[in-house]
Amino acid sequence: MSVDYLSIASLHVEYLQRGKTITALDSVDLSLSQGKTGVIIGPSGCGKSTLFNVLAGLNDRYAGQVLINGQAPRGGGETALILQEYGLFPWKTVWDNVILGLQLRKKTPREIQSQATMILDKLGLLPLAKRYPAQLSGGQRQRVAIARALVLEPKLLLMDEPFSSLDALTREEIQDFLLEIWQETGLTILLITHNIEEAVFLGHRIFVMSPGPGHIEQIVENEMAGDYELRGKIPFLEMCNLLRSYLHRRKKYAAGV
Amino acid sequence: MQQAFKKAEKALAFLASVAILLLLWWLLSLGLKSPAVPLPLDAGQSLLQSLRGELLLHLGVSLYRVLLSLLLATLLAVPLGILLGKDPVIDNKVAPLLYLTYPIPKVVFMPIFLIVLGIGDSSKILLITLITFYQILVTTRDAAKNMKKEYVSSMKSLGASSWDLYRHVYLPGCLPAILTSLRLGLGTALAVLFLAETYATQTGIGFFIMDCLSRMNYEEMFAGIIAMGLMGFFLYVLLDQAEKFLCSWIHL
Ligand SMILES: Nc1ncnc2c1ncn2[C@@H]1O[C@H](COP(=O)(O)OP(=O)(O)OP(=O)(O)O)[C@@H](O)[C@H]1O
Ligand SMILES: [Mg+2]
Repeated sequence: MSVDYLSIASLHVEYLQRGKTITALDSVDLSLSQGKTGVIIGPSGCGKSTLFNVLAGLNDRYAGQVLINGQAPRGGGETALILQEYGLFPWKTVWDNVILGLQLRKKTPREIQSQATMILDKLGLLPLAKRYPAQLSGGQRQRVAIARALVLEPKLLLMDEPFSSLDALTREEIQDFLLEIWQETGLTILLITHNIEEAVFLGHRIFVMSPGPGHIEQIVENEMAGDYELRGKIPFLEMCNLLRSYLHRRKKYAAGV
Repeated sequence: MQQAFKKAEKALAFLASVAILLLLWWLLSLGLKSPAVPLPLDAGQSLLQSLRGELLLHLGVSLYRVLLSLLLATLLAVPLGILLGKDPVIDNKVAPLLYLTYPIPKVVFMPIFLIVLGIGDSSKILLITLITFYQILVTTRDAAKNMKKEYVSSMKSLGASSWDLYRHVYLPGCLPAILTSLRLGLGTALAVLFLAETYATQTGIGFFIMDCLSRMNYEEMFAGIIAMGLMGFFLYVLLDQAEKFLCSWIHL
């Protein structure tokens, strides 16, 4: 068995809001091997983004153990985060958005130039380098956000609902594109989605989460993920149905049925 | 092609506005028949004549005072406003103080400034600085407060320091609001400047105008008024262009 690249044990996160404590996550255990993809799926408010904030080093007020490659999470390390609304800066051009992380890491102008050019070229974004995010389509913006993350050569890529605002066609295009990147780089990817097909298409391991307080309800192993030809095939549809039944069962419990 | 057309249209609208303004002025002057409101052409001539005399000197002094005040106010208010906006803990401590002092019309402190700082430039500059400081501070703070959390999070996840956050997120993100408050502040600054220059001083456009009034030299007085109006106009255009240049991402 391979050593887990990402391992979370008994994670507990609380928020303090107007003197009241809200437990966002409780007893969360999660592990993912290097070079694998994990997908987190669950209803709104079950603590998915909270979990990502911990992993990205944005929130260090948690109890339990969180290890990424054997180390506690921290900003600016080997982890890259792509947020729900991409987090691109509207006041920076595509180019300036992409080089930002390199600038913060005090790379030389030469390195910045060559690395950013390479990544933008690879993602087909070079002709758009001088544009501002507002001048891009949703899919292009998503690709810029991916470029901004990849240019730092991360080992772990966290994506919070990366494709939710894209139309179906663009969505599948970028899913394929992400798969390509994954195969090329051997990245470990953890992704949040509300979409069952997306979860089955992209996730080797699918974590079904439930609220009240947020925890992992079910872990589904899905080794067939990572194959372009998967969509529409029988095993794929079966897996989607299985996952759907898990999500619905949880809903029935919640309703007291 | 279309852009050129748009530009021409804008220029035309501008010229039309100037023409209407001149026409109204002309009618007013004809109607009032007062030496305080000369005809546009006469006023233009006397303006040119006055500029060859002392007027230019006074105008220069006033320009210096107003620009220095705005610069000081910006340099003080912007960092402080961002600090308050991004840190709720500090903001909570300072907010009551701001709330208490913001509504006070700071211009009433002018006599105190005159006594403590004397009748030189510093009392005027400090008064204008204080008043515009508040306007810029409050606007900047609100803009920083409303900064989208995603921008801050995605910056922090890159391992950004406080200074990086300041430089790459808060400053550029708040810049449109800052420039808007500067444009509003400019109007206030000029009004306060005029008031401050009408007391206990021998320099500045405010003094020039009131001095002409007391000497009943209406021609030069009106030239001074026009000069001050034009100064305001050019400063406004300057800020407007600065905004277009610095915040090009808004005008796409
Ligand atoms: N900064 C905060 N302060 C207080 N409570 C918070 C904070 N952030 C999140 N919460 C609460 O924690 C819970 C989990 O929120 P979280 O954003 O992690 O959910 P999510 O699963 O990402 O939802 P969505 O699918 O809508 O994005 C929610 O009940 C939310 O109200
Ligand atoms: Mg979320």
